[in-house]
Amino acid sequence: MKKWLQQDLWRHLVAIAVCFFALFPIYLVFLSALSKSGSLQVTSFWPQTLSLKNFHMLFTSPKIPYLIWMKNSIVIAGMVAVLSVVIGAASAFAFSRLRFKGKKQGLQLLLLVQMFPAILALSAVYVIMSRVYTFAPHLGLGTQPGLLLVYLGGAMGVNIWLLKGFVDSIPMELDEAARVDGASAVQTYWLIFVPLAAPVLAVVSLLSFIGTFNEFILARLFLVDMNARTVAVGLQGFISGQYAQNWGPFAAGSIVASIPIVAIFLSLQKYIISGLTAGSVKG
Amino acid sequence: MEKLFSRKVTVTAKYITVAIVLSLLTLLIQSAFAKREFAIAGFLTIAVIAIAITYLTNISIPMKFFLPGMIFLFAFVVGPIIYTVAMSGFHYQTGNYISKPESISKITLGGIRPDPGQTTFDVVVGQDSAKHLELLASDAGTKKYFIATTTSKTDLDPATITINADDVATAAPGFHALTVDERFAIDATLQTTHFYYSKDFFITLEGATVGALKSQTLSYSAATDTFTDVRTGDIYKDNGVGNYANVKNKTDLLQPGWRAPIWFSNYAKLFTDPQIRKPLIKVFIWTLIFAFLTVLTQFALGLLVAIAMNRKLFGRRFYRSIIILPYAMPSIMSILIWGGMFDTEFGAINHLFGSHVHWFQNAFYARAAVIIVNLWLGFPYFYLICSGALQAIPAELSEAAAIDGASNRQVFGKITLPLLLQIVSPLLVASFAFNFNNFNIIYLLTGGGPSDTLGGDVAGATDILISYTYKIAFSAGTQNLGLASAISVVIFVIIASISLYGIRRSKVLDSFK
Repeated sequence: MKKWLQQDLWRHLVAIAVCFFALFPIYLVFLSALSKSGSLQVTSFWPQTLSLKNFHMLFTSPKIPYLIWMKNSIVIAGMVAVLSVVIGAASAFAFSRLRFKGKKQGLQLLLLVQMFPAILALSAVYVIMSRVYTFAPHLGLGTQPGLLLVYLGGAMGVNIWLLKGFVDSIPMELDEAARVDGASAVQTYWLIFVPLAAPVLAVVSLLSFIGTFNEFILARLFLVDMNARTVAVGLQGFISGQYAQNWGPFAAGSIVASIPIVAIFLSLQKYIISGLTAGSVKG
Repeated sequence: MEKLFSRKVTVTAKYITVAIVLSLLTLLIQSAFAKREFAIAGFLTIAVIAIAITYLTNISIPMKFFLPGMIFLFAFVVGPIIYTVAMSGFHYQTGNYISKPESISKITLGGIRPDPGQTTFDVVVGQDSAKHLELLASDAGTKKYFIATTTSKTDLDPATITINADDVATAAPGFHALTVDERFAIDATLQTTHFYYSKDFFITLEGATVGALKSQTLSYSAATDTFTDVRTGDIYKDNGVGNYANVKNKTDLLQPGWRAPIWFSNYAKLFTDPQIRKPLIKVFIWTLIFAFLTVLTQFALGLLVAIAMNRKLFGRRFYRSIIILPYAMPSIMSILIWGGMFDTEFGAINHLFGSHVHWFQNAFYARAAVIIVNLWLGFPYFYLICSGALQAIPAELSEAAAIDGASNRQVFGKITLPLLLQIVSPLLVASFAFNFNNFNIIYLLTGGGPSDTLGGDVAGATDILISYTYKIAFSAGTQNLGLASAISVVIFVIIASISLYGIRRSKVLDSFK
């Protein structure tokens, strides 16, 4: 018992204290989501009256197209997840497996452009897309396909880099064997590499999904129309008004929107950590 | 496998895909050319040619893998970067957005003044028999009537024309009034048409039946590229940085100006103009402190938790899954929630501690709040990293030290910590670089504030370089895209140097060889 006290007690105390710190805001979100008052005003840390009013409002109020926002987020993030990996995997494969002139420079360029703060190229992206709008109104500024294109461009650098890290760890023997048997690079890619790397590609596309789901600034710049918004932009609208801070529905909406993300994250924990160690940080 | 992917099928599929992509892009190019967007049309044309060559021939195998990614990367990442770098060489800000020809036409339009008596005429818009625009104008007060074309003025004898009860002429021989529909069809032209009155004066339409006497006070001479103020005789010359300036008084500028190339002046301003340099230095120092404190606190807490739980502990899995929750939640939502918790009147933090702190109105507390929230967001990451790293350190090392008589503290300080730091140092550098540009937390939590807006400060106490730059580039009224772009390029250089240093250390570059 004495030994336990010496060795483990402080560990438990630290862990419990940190758990409180971690849970505090999350607890408050649940509290205000389940409260009737629709504010983040804390009069007591214990729930006074429990009500599902906020959740109910989220799904039924005609003024809050919450389900449409969720659908928008899922569709946009889903398409970015799939397309960016389909496009990025090919480049990652070439960087990892093929020999060609300018490979080193290509990688360096990729690394360099990734370091340019994306926020600061925002005005340029804005100008370019507003010009695109003048001749292709379905692709330009203010449209979801336009936002999708910009996301794909932005995801390219990170994804190629991340995928290359994963791909490097896949043993080369199999595709070398295929080459020896006379397969071309394209055949090796489709017949050997893609089936082998499928789990890795799935993980990276889910990471991409999380990242896109979380994106805010571009989405706010692009999606003005209430029904075109993503869930992050829509929810921020609840509390950005100076005199109309609807914390109740915001909290309820955040909980619902967080569930898929937290679920994906927890199930991918292992890969996310190894991906992060490979040199990128979640934003 | 080979049978599944029969060659004929895959080849056909490939050609169909390429054909569809090429035709879609060609359609886009056509409409881009039609709207005179030559830069975009040119980029798309290059893309089409590259796609056709790459996928219809076998010139370069690696290109077949790279091209789709490259097109996106160039269109939405490299292109905007080049555009930003180019903008940094221009005087490009509120009042200097447009091109020089546009500026000249706007100044010319703006240089039109009513005559001193603010004379107006009752007018009827019409045409002569050759369909040239004419005005049938009446000065009801003096009972004078005339017809004005764009080049001449003809006085009329009141006896020859039809005049109504209000002394306004309604018809004249050879003059054909326009119907409402005809008028409407040429409305845009009518708005800008000048009808001749005298050498210095002309008439413009002020409404359907009113014309006003105006004069051009600023006249442009293309030969000398100068504006002359007709009233005062002042001459305005191109000052080389995007404005016409009075030759006698350099601060007397004609508005609007245009975006003029000024090369490195924006960069020079960062170091020489005290109004820009002072806030910039303040923001830069806070950026460094913010990034450093963030990494330090996140790493320290993460390490503490990792050490505490680096042992078979009852409930460890439970603790672990709770501790990574902040990291798993969508960060935008967590930041906004924390924003509400720091509210002075109703926030949970003040309630919990029974305090009444104005978190976001006081520079010190606002900075503390930013660090606390960032700690919450990021410590689970370092916890995960550190617990992984701790397990990677061989137990033999600390056991050997313990046998040699080292205390627990000595083992940790002399063996575990140095080894751990070696493992995580590239990640610390990466995290520093990331937080150096952590726009979201500043923008969503404090908006960069508090700031002394009355004192004219754009920079707030919690503004970091990137949020400050964002304000310079996008805040209403005082946008300065040229300056913002120059700061962006400087930030880019700083981040690139930090990251390259980190990468050198982690030896990622080895894989380039």
